[in-house]
Amino acid sequence: MSYCLATIHPIALIPALPLLATILTALLGARYLKRLSHWPVMVATAVSFLLSAMLLVQTHQSTANDHQQADSGEIVTLWSWVHVQDAYQAVPSSERETEDLRIDVVLRVDGLTVVMLTMVTFVSLLVTIFAAGYMHDDPGYWRFFTYIGLFIFSMTMLISVNNFVLLFVFWEAVGMCSYLLIGFWYQKPEAAAAGKKAFLVNRVGDFGFLLALFLIWSTYGTLNYYGTEGARGVLDSSLPLGEASGLLICLLLMLGACGKSAQFPLHIWLPDAMEGPTPVSALIHAATMVTAGIYMVTRCWPLFAASEEAQLAVACIGGFTALLAGLIALTQFDLKRVLAYSTISQLGYMFLALGTGSRAGIVAGMFHLVTHAFFKALLFLGSGSVMHATGTVDMRQFGGLRSRLRITHITFLIGCLALSGFPLLAGFWSKDAILTAVYERSVVPSYAGFYTTLFWVATFTALLTAIYTFRAFFLTFYGPAQHPSEAGESPHESPASMWIPLAILAIGSCLIGLVHHPLEHVLLQTPSLTGLDVTEVGHVAWIPLMSALVALAGIGLAGWFYLRGGELLDRITGLLKRCGLYQLSEEKFYLDTLYWGFIIWPLRCMALICYAVDRWIIDYLVDFCGRCPRSFGSLMRSLQMGLTSFYALAMVLGLLVLMAARLLSQLT
Amino acid sequence: MGLLLNLSLLLPLLSAVVLWFAPLNRHQVRRFALGVTLVTLLLVIIVTAGYPAQPLEGESVYASSEWSWLGGVGFAEMDVRYSVGLDGLGLWLYALSGLLMVTAVLVSWESVKERAGLFYGLLLLLETGCLGVFCARDIILFYVFFEFTLIPLFFLIGIWGSEDRRRAANKFFLYTLAGSVLTFLGLMSIVLLHWAHSGQLTFSIELLTEALRENPLTLTYQRIIFLALLAGFAIKIPIFPFHTWLPLAHVQAPTAGSVLLAGIMLKIGTYGFVRFNLPMLPDATVQWMPCLLWLSVAGIIYGALVALVQWDMKRLIAYSSVSHLGFCTLGLFSVNRLGIEGAALQMINHGISTGALFAIVGMIYERYHTREIRQLAGLAAKTPWLAFFMLLFTLSSIGLPGLNGFTGEFLILLGVFQRAWNHADAHVGGQLTVIAILAVFGVVLGAWYMLSLMQRLFFGRLQEPDQEHSDQLATNIRDLSWREFAALAPLAVMVFWIGLQPGFFLSRIDRTLTTIIEPAEESVSRVFQASNRNARRFPVESVKSKSGGSGT
Repeated sequence: MSYCLATIHPIALIPALPLLATILTALLGARYLKRLSHWPVMVATAVSFLLSAMLLVQTHQSTANDHQQADSGEIVTLWSWVHVQDAYQAVPSSERETEDLRIDVVLRVDGLTVVMLTMVTFVSLLVTIFAAGYMHDDPGYWRFFTYIGLFIFSMTMLISVNNFVLLFVFWEAVGMCSYLLIGFWYQKPEAAAAGKKAFLVNRVGDFGFLLALFLIWSTYGTLNYYGTEGARGVLDSSLPLGEASGLLICLLLMLGACGKSAQFPLHIWLPDAMEGPTPVSALIHAATMVTAGIYMVTRCWPLFAASEEAQLAVACIGGFTALLAGLIALTQFDLKRVLAYSTISQLGYMFLALGTGSRAGIVAGMFHLVTHAFFKALLFLGSGSVMHATGTVDMRQFGGLRSRLRITHITFLIGCLALSGFPLLAGFWSKDAILTAVYERSVVPSYAGFYTTLFWVATFTALLTAIYTFRAFFLTFYGPAQHPSEAGESPHESPASMWIPLAILAIGSCLIGLVHHPLEHVLLQTPSLTGLDVTEVGHVAWIPLMSALVALAGIGLAGWFYLRGGELLDRITGLLKRCGLYQLSEEKFYLDTLYWGFIIWPLRCMALICYAVDRWIIDYLVDFCGRCPRSFGSLMRSLQMGLTSFYALAMVLGLLVLMAARLLSQLT
Repeated sequence: MGLLLNLSLLLPLLSAVVLWFAPLNRHQVRRFALGVTLVTLLLVIIVTAGYPAQPLEGESVYASSEWSWLGGVGFAEMDVRYSVGLDGLGLWLYALSGLLMVTAVLVSWESVKERAGLFYGLLLLLETGCLGVFCARDIILFYVFFEFTLIPLFFLIGIWGSEDRRRAANKFFLYTLAGSVLTFLGLMSIVLLHWAHSGQLTFSIELLTEALRENPLTLTYQRIIFLALLAGFAIKIPIFPFHTWLPLAHVQAPTAGSVLLAGIMLKIGTYGFVRFNLPMLPDATVQWMPCLLWLSVAGIIYGALVALVQWDMKRLIAYSSVSHLGFCTLGLFSVNRLGIEGAALQMINHGISTGALFAIVGMIYERYHTREIRQLAGLAAKTPWLAFFMLLFTLSSIGLPGLNGFTGEFLILLGVFQRAWNHADAHVGGQLTVIAILAVFGVVLGAWYMLSLMQRLFFGRLQEPDQEHSDQLATNIRDLSWREFAALAPLAVMVFWIGLQPGFFLSRIDRTLTTIIEPAEESVSRVFQASNRNARRFPVESVKSKSGGSGT
């Protein structure tokens, strides 16, 4: 047995263990494990985390000289999923070049994968521990951990596979886990509806993703990222990159990424997804699954690198989404929704960073992904702790909780500071890196105007971030002490299994900002990213200073509004309400309504029309044809009236007609 | 193996006769029927498992056996044979028929109370027909089995159906019969044309395929015969707009009838198309490809949209069948290896998921005596296992990767895209691209109606129909019994198996398809050459075709 385990590569074990745990929990959970159902998943995830960390260290140690090894990566082939011979034919020509469609389940280790793996398994582990406390009295305890295990399996597979089709497979699999977990409390109609909405909006993104896959296949004749034995790879630099179709592929991939990573115009599912249990929001809808889009774009970077327009599209979508979500978050009263919009906004930041197309930008994007995973998971789990204590997330119903929930208060504060970019905490470093990258890109002549605008948009969004974050913080923990009556006499601090993960994440949020350079070193060993230009530009000193000032200004403003200036706040809100701007933000820019009015409702109308056509036209025609023989028969029957004289007359008439015809034919 | 194959055809037939005449009560009858279907399934599994993974030397048909049947009647040369055998195309459909029949017996266990002997007898008769049609190697024999499936189902719908059963049965029977008569004419004209040409009167599918490949019919004949064959197959599949009999028949049919109708009967049309039209009439197929693809994609979108506004569970799933079979035909008509292979897999997938969905709807009906979606909600709280299976088959049906539906759909779409992208004629290529994009959009719609059904039926607050005897009803609602579990579990296993290892199934289909597709592919490349010549004559066209044909 030990021999067996030793021969299995850790990259295969990392997803395999959560899968085993899932199967175990699914089979034994309901009958035997019951309240112990979290153990298999927790242990498996812990081991997976250790293995990932080991791989991370290994990858970090392999020096830059090992580039050849980095190029080929470490590859584990599991089984062949589909193999169709001679499936691809290049544009028809006399000599038929054919290519097999060959999709093997291949896992590979490289910089990007191990960074993501370590982050995912770490957050999963902490969230699992938290959930063991949070979900304690739920009747679906085992079901919850089954889904969570399935999710961890799918997510780790998603970031380890070497093929676009399998990426899509697990892309959908995490989507399904998200569907199941959002609708975990299926008796709540809102939860069931939110799950369906998430799935369908993601399907729209998948529409783009699938088209991109088909286009990649039609253009390149392969769907592998990198070449393996007997198959070429799309991202290998040796393949020619099409221009027109290259841009199209990028835009379609980006549509897919918009679905999963909740970017405009497909971001509408994420706020509703908050109907799910809070640990799920922390794990899936903040730290891991929603970053799949970022991962995908980073992975496919060689495709995006070929066209500046594609990069610009990524940057614009990211920048616009960051601003839009920041504006909406200002007026929401649901603590979790504020955090959800903040997630959308921060994901927008990451896309903006990727859109710069420079080495610094991509590293900054991935860096922000990692830091964000820490502080956003921390904030969500903190909000879970608040919800555990008060039974609600409506910020109007509670306040002044700082004395009741001391640990939650401190950790939440750290999370908020990190998110708003308070100097020396995690968010400060990564946000600064992004701003610098965008600024550097705006110096480059092509599309400079766009990137300059995006730079200021990003700075303004940083201000918004600080304001809405601390608005939520002050509304929750400061102000007059109040809590809803159903919370009982006094809200209490959460059990140890819940606050320990909070503490760990809080420490991480303080320190994770230091990993920028090691992270860069590891990331650059990814084959997709080795081709990036290495033009080092010196640090622009005023950007960190400015972003620190912006963060402090935002925190100060929020403090002024929500701690002291009740009257001032009312006056400002009144003014905004009169302009209609407040309602615009509160109603999420009416996007849901727009979608309903312009997509769903017309489709439903069309469906009704189709049904009417089916019923009254197509089917009627069929019935009509079916009735024809009988009608013809009954018409003929009326001639058979049994009158001998009529028959005789008909005979004579017939004879006459025949004779006339005969005569006529002879005449002519 | 040939012996076992024949036994699997004969056993249900003989048992059906026994059931009609033996004085058995209801309990004995259903046990007997279950036993027969299980034994048949065992035979089917043995035969299927024996199918060689690697091609045998010079042998295209597996487990074949044949006897002269109508030899020497009328004409001296005429030789209609009883000739059966399996190849990659029929193999999985044959296996599926054996599997679904057990499900069909199990779901009828409680619901069929009157004239059980006749019911199960007809069911077994249908089994012979379904198994036979996929392994017939002789045109006449194929047609016999083809029609053979019609009659038992007519009676199953007409006698054990719901309130409007007579009309549904009549419509189903007359409509499909009208089409299949034309199909018969088409098949006969192939035989006769071949006879006139070579002086050899044969009904063997292999020989005819082989002969027509060497001496193709003229385009005019091909067109006429193609339409004649299509008439029957299009109604059977059904291709939009010939589908209107299907919702009616499904809604009125007893659960077992629906399961078999969706699971197997519809596939006979697509099977027939691949068996006859593609290899025997390649030029006509290629010529009508865009038109047929338009009809397919219309079926996909139209079926999905109409399913969206249905309040009758069975009708909803029936329209989803129209949509899914649109994918099937889309793959077939793309005349492309990937597409056809995907379609062959999609036939199996659709049989499994839709068959199972009808079985589940039947189980809900047995509990609540309603098919109205609006009367039910939140059933997951009461019947968690039923909800689990419903969710599984829903996800399978909307093509969630990792489950079976995805592989078929993916290969089909890949095939259509490739056809569109690589098509030399820019005009046709552009049309095909639009078709492919619309088809992908159909995938989005498919998720919409199925997830809505799932959400309405199983999620939310529990709501049960209020009838006079509701108090008695509410207490009687149980989760899945072992019998129902047994009906669904094998299908669930197949869902995962095909989803995770489609290569296993595809590799066995792959080999046969080579011979089937080749004529059509050659015909396609002939068309290409023609259009390339045109392109050279008109330089503008050539620029267009280049930009439409290749992105590199």
